Amino acid sequence: MNPIYLFFHKTGSPPWFYRFSGRLIPWLWVGFAILTAVGLYQGLLVAPADYQQGESVRIMYIHVPAAWMSMMIYGLMAIMGFIALVWRIRIMEVMVISSAPVGAAFTIIALVTGSLWGRPTWGTYWVWDARLTSELVLLFLYFGVIALYNAYDEPRKAAKAAALMSIVGAINLPIIHFSVEWWNTLHQGSSIGTSGNSIHPSMLWPLLWMAIAFKFYYGANLLSRARVRLLKQDHRKRWVQDLLTEGKS
Amino acid sequence: MSHTPFILASYLISTVVLLWAGLSPVINKRGLLRQLKNRRARMDKVQ
Repeated sequence: MNPIYLFFHKTGSPPWFYRFSGRLIPWLWVGFAILTAVGLYQGLLVAPADYQQGESVRIMYIHVPAAWMSMMIYGLMAIMGFIALVWRIRIMEVMVISSAPVGAAFTIIALVTGSLWGRPTWGTYWVWDARLTSELVLLFLYFGVIALYNAYDEPRKAAKAAALMSIVGAINLPIIHFSVEWWNTLHQGSSIGTSGNSIHPSMLWPLLWMAIAFKFYYGANLLSRARVRLLKQDHRKRWVQDLLTEGKS
Repeated sequence: MSHTPFILASYLISTVVLLWAGLSPVINKRGLLRQLKNRRARMDKVQ
């Protein structure tokens, strides 16, 4: 069998996934710690203050990567939700619901840091601007997925409902992305894009390090949450009983 | 207007949120394992 296909095939097995993710998580935390240290060092100590925003530009090294993560995680939830609904892969159902609290955490960070950046720069903590409002809607979508999952007693039914809501809610992602182009907003347009960047490399690098660090954080946190959920769902099954006996949980 | 309080508040709040989100599965797992082990011990006693 093709090794890549074999890997995906194995990932569908909860005991294998549990053992594999257990080995991977410490490395993801190490990657997150190193990249965060590099990103914060460059962002707080090396990068210069902005000529217009002054020192408050340093909030961007948290705000922008968190906002990217909030959208990326929801997009992944929609993809995983689709796979879970079409191919009925239980690990994917677990990944969808395990992603939601991490995505919500990043959305809260994006909203709060954006608000704290807005006060000295725009003169206000909040405006009902299209970008800010659509990001707030994203937070409510995350809460909705979590609440909907918890409303069911049966985990598989709950996961299906959560997966469906993730797919439907993904309509908000292009709205968030294009809001600054479709409407006249106070929030500025993208400084980084496929057609080029309007940001100096001394400011771009810390932003990118933090963006990669947050991806490691998401990976570690998602796998940790998925493992707990699998243990909870399969607590009567043989592999969990064996884990308890071996004491390697 | 000094920007320092806004920068410090941003980093502090982000740290708290990331710590909370990162530690909650660890705490949940410990609680769940304790519960499962206790249940198993009770069942072993009954048998």
